[in-house]
Amino acid sequence: MAAVNGQTEDRYQGNTPAVAPSPKQPLPAAKSVDTQSVLKRLQSELMALMMSGDPGISAFPEEDNIFCWKGTITGSKDTVFEGTEYKLSLAFPNDYPFKPPKVKFETACFHPNVDVYGNICLDILQDKWSSAYDVRTILLSIQSLLGEPNTSSPLNPQAAQLWSNQEEYRKMVEKLYKPPSAA
Amino acid sequence: MQNNEEHVVDGEAESASSAPQPEFSDWAYYADEDTMKQPNEIPASESEKIPFVGDKEPLSALAAEYQSGSPILLEKIKLLGEKFAAIRRTRGDGNCFFRSFMFSYLEHILETQDKAEVDRITANVEECRRTLQGLGYIDFTFEDFFALFLEQLESVLQGHETSISHDDLLQRSRDPSVSDYVVMFFRFVTTGEIRKRSEFFEPFIMGLASSTVEQFCKSSVEPMGEESDHVHITALSDALGVPIRVVYLDRSSCDNGGVNVNHHDFVPSSGDSSGSSSSSSSKTTEPFIVLLYRPGHYDILYPK
Repeated sequence: MAAVNGQTEDRYQGNTPAVAPSPKQPLPAAKSVDTQSVLKRLQSELMALMMSGDPGISAFPEEDNIFCWKGTITGSKDTVFEGTEYKLSLAFPNDYPFKPPKVKFETACFHPNVDVYGNICLDILQDKWSSAYDVRTILLSIQSLLGEPNTSSPLNPQAAQLWSNQEEYRKMVEKLYKPPSAA
Repeated sequence: MQNNEEHVVDGEAESASSAPQPEFSDWAYYADEDTMKQPNEIPASESEKIPFVGDKEPLSALAAEYQSGSPILLEKIKLLGEKFAAIRRTRGDGNCFFRSFMFSYLEHILETQDKAEVDRITANVEECRRTLQGLGYIDFTFEDFFALFLEQLESVLQGHETSISHDDLLQRSRDPSVSDYVVMFFRFVTTGEIRKRSEFFEPFIMGLASSTVEQFCKSSVEPMGEESDHVHITALSDALGVPIRVVYLDRSSCDNGGVNVNHHDFVPSSGDSSGSSSSSSSKTTEPFIVLLYRPGHYDILYPK
């Protein structure tokens, strides 16, 4: 598990006997313990996600690395994205859940708030992130972003412009949609 | 000194172009409108020079900041000096209220060894946990933060294997892996209280940018670095049952030209917090947490 090593942020564990060389030194780092807490959190999230059974969203860690997940969301009914499916990647930082995971569309998505590289402009993935969010709420937020874009500050101006014409927009979605290949 | 002050106040345009860029600590150079925005505008590098929680400094250190400052502020600092002995600064990173509260509270417990207070707050913390669960927060999103706070609470009580000294407490308060976790714990407690009593808090929130209480909590309470105002302070104080005194240091003065230093006590509404009326007799005394508020920032004050 390569990602487990190289932790930079370490949560202090009170039950670990503190053997500080001098009071002015930083607290002894309990690296393995800290990794454990991120691991534990991600495992809890995985369990919760699998138990929740929310329709249209799913995610699972990549082989051998619980810090990298692949997710799937489907377009909600009665939106121009109905019937489409999108693959996403989620990369969790070592200081998760203090910092949000990096989430990108792996499947091309014609959307006002998604750029050609799959980057997503969504406040909860940037400055409005908090530890109260989890993979499930991230995926649900992205799913609802599909149907309710923020067209005032778009990453894809063309999509933002076309949004007002839902019929044309649907055609564009269908034209550009490439179903994710079963990898 | 007087001339200097007049120069800054009367010639703002001039000073803006010719005066050297003010340092973070030179509060006196800012009009109140400016200080309101300031914490956002400090470059991260500048803010990070200040530890999360600073050393205890004599109150004269505060006066030194304003040496060429407004006479009103200098007068107020003089008045502060009559009641307060020292100040402990916190980093202006948007978490300063929670950070000040954290240190001040844990330091109080460390010094008083008030076991009854620890039992009381522990019961409130459990109530906060149930509040969050009731609001639909998933346990794993907040349990680490709760656990870490309770751990700190236990370690400031002496006589355990895990007990810590005052120095340890200061160190931990400067260590993001403790300090940020505790700040996040307070953010969860605050958001839970606001949402639980959303009808009470709604009128205070409506005037602000958010359109709903939930939205306010999602955008202005839960994310790290979001600044606190009276809504946050009221909610935290109520939820944990801990009174907080905030002393205001600003340029306001009375119409008759008299200067006094205002303060506001946030006293927990006992109705909502776990009904431990037996221990509430101590609540009528002065709040043991005293914070100095300057527009946009909170520090810790130590009474004489």
